[in-house]
Amino acid sequence: MIKAADSAADLVHGAGDHASEGAVVRVRVLRQDVAGGESYWERFEVPYEPNMNVISVLQKIAAQARSQDGRKVAPVAWDCNCLEEVCGSCTMLINGRTRMACSALVDRLQAEDGDEIELRPMSKFPVVRDLVVDRRRLFRGLEKVKAWVPVEGSYDLGPGPRISPEEQEDAYPLSECMSCGCCLEACPQYTKVEAVRRDGESEADFEKRRKAAFDAGFVGAHAISQAVLFNAHPTGRMIADERMEALTRQGGIQMCGNAQNCVAVCPKRIPLTRSIARAGRAATIWALKRLFDR
Amino acid sequence: MSESSPSFLERHQFLIYRLFSLAGLIPVGAFLAVHLLTNASILAGDDGRTFQSRVDMIHSLGPLLVPIEWAFIFLPMLFHAAVGFVIIANGLPNVGSYAYVGNVRYTLQRATGMIAFAFIVWHIMQLHWLGKPFGGGRFDPHHAASTAATALQPILVSILYCIGILSTVFHFSNGLWTLGITWGLWTSPAAMRRANVVSIVVGLGLAAAGLGALGGFRSLDVPKARAAEVWTEKQKRALAVPGGAVAPAPIPATTH
Ligand code: HEM
Ligand code: SF4
Ligand code: SF4
Ligand code: FES
Repeated sequence: MIKAADSAADLVHGAGDHASEGAVVRVRVLRQDVAGGESYWERFEVPYEPNMNVISVLQKIAAQARSQDGRKVAPVAWDCNCLEEVCGSCTMLINGRTRMACSALVDRLQAEDGDEIELRPMSKFPVVRDLVVDRRRLFRGLEKVKAWVPVEGSYDLGPGPRISPEEQEDAYPLSECMSCGCCLEACPQYTKVEAVRRDGESEADFEKRRKAAFDAGFVGAHAISQAVLFNAHPTGRMIADERMEALTRQGGIQMCGNAQNCVAVCPKRIPLTRSIARAGRAATIWALKRLFDR
Repeated sequence: MSESSPSFLERHQFLIYRLFSLAGLIPVGAFLAVHLLTNASILAGDDGRTFQSRVDMIHSLGPLLVPIEWAFIFLPMLFHAAVGFVIIANGLPNVGSYAYVGNVRYTLQRATGMIAFAFIVWHIMQLHWLGKPFGGGRFDPHHAASTAATALQPILVSILYCIGILSTVFHFSNGLWTLGITWGLWTSPAAMRRANVVSIVVGLGLAAAGLGALGGFRSLDVPKARAAEVWTEKQKRALAVPGGAVAPAPIPATTH
């Protein structure tokens, strides 16, 4: 595609810019200025470069801070960090599907979905600004199931037990979770929870109410998988019952409807449905034990 | 904060959802299988005699039939349906964005659950004696094949039965697969694939039984079936067994 000589990109970069013979990338971004505010679409156009990904497109948009029709606008806000699909911070809806922006290549997007790229913030979390969302509920899910190995204490506990290579092989894929939230975004059972602070409500009261609202909803595939990971760990297993209790509380594993979208969209290809079924089995046994051992 | 204190349903969510899942298999799913296979006996080609004898067997329960029906069929089904509607209301299907097979099945599971509910209510009203006050209840256990066949004759009724049967069978056999994940019977992707084959075979089998029965009733020679029923009736009356039951009632001396 050949862009018009007077387009926004030209105004910014000026004539004689290196852009490869005027090719451009067109982007449509669903923006929102403040939390709880109205959202609106804005179009951008940036010069094309080979091997661009969505983050590099966003960097160019930020640099020019102008919409396609040449208006000066606030730069689009987004989250990113590692730029190599390991930190999990750059999740967004790219052409309608949840994925990592840093690994979404422009060439491939254009080949698969056509010319214009559509960027939207994740729909299951409250928007902070533009493409930045508040993923506290994701971390609350991990907290709920105690996704850690309990080693805190006042004295040295000594070396941990050995873990066989087979167990390591089983656990390793689960340990790759980067808390990106793709599994939650695509899950039809994980619906948005947005608590709004009331007039005159103290920060502590609001925090408490928000936590309760989070806990009432589905805990999510990521947390179920982490519970399975730490319940398989010889030291982590010491609080296995607490994790099972959390997994069978309101919003627990029973909320999963087996749509299996989570496993299909997980960028780390974590076998989430295997984890869910294993947790389901553990929950069955745990519930029966509670019934008969009481 | 009283507003956030969880309700009974929320406090026992795990237990309720597991009972919901179990109810789908036993007794509701088990009943569905028995029901469709019983109906398929209309295909025996004996003017509904086999079918009539199966019906007689069920009705030999006599007055026990009503509490059994309520305890093992109606109430579990109402429970499953009530929880099912709550689950449906809380989900947010998204096949538009994520058209994966599993997601399509998830959505169909919900759609067919709702179709099954509408179908079963209508089906009961149309044929079961509970529907009599509403002008339905057209199935007469003493004239099983002929009354069922007559009720199913209108082409629109047959089409709706076709949709209802296929929806219910899909719902049950797909549910069989998800139930195995829910309870942790099959956990690895390979085991899930094997279980999927089994549930497809079960589904195809039940669909064949259900649609076969529908076809069997539609092509039944109603006057001949009626004659067979009247003859059977006479035999039973001669044996003086009440209600057409084959219960071991005292047989009066038949000296002639
Ligand atoms: C013939 C009647 C029915 C049978 C045999 C049946 C059977 C089943 C079975 C075996 C499951 C799988 C449970 C699991 O995955 O753990 C299921 C799931 C489900 N049923 Fe039914 N069901 C019937 C009627 C209904 C009705 C009337 C509704 C109401 C709309 C309904 C709604 C659902 C829903 C929403 C699910 C999915 C639950 C989930 O995956 O989270 N079902 N059913
Ligand atoms: S399998 Fe469960 S957790 Fe995964 S997307 Fe489906 S409903 Fe959500
Ligand atoms: S399980 Fe996969 S999709 Fe979900 S948060 Fe972890 S890495 Fe992301
Ligand atoms: S920036 Fe870290 S995953 Fe994309």
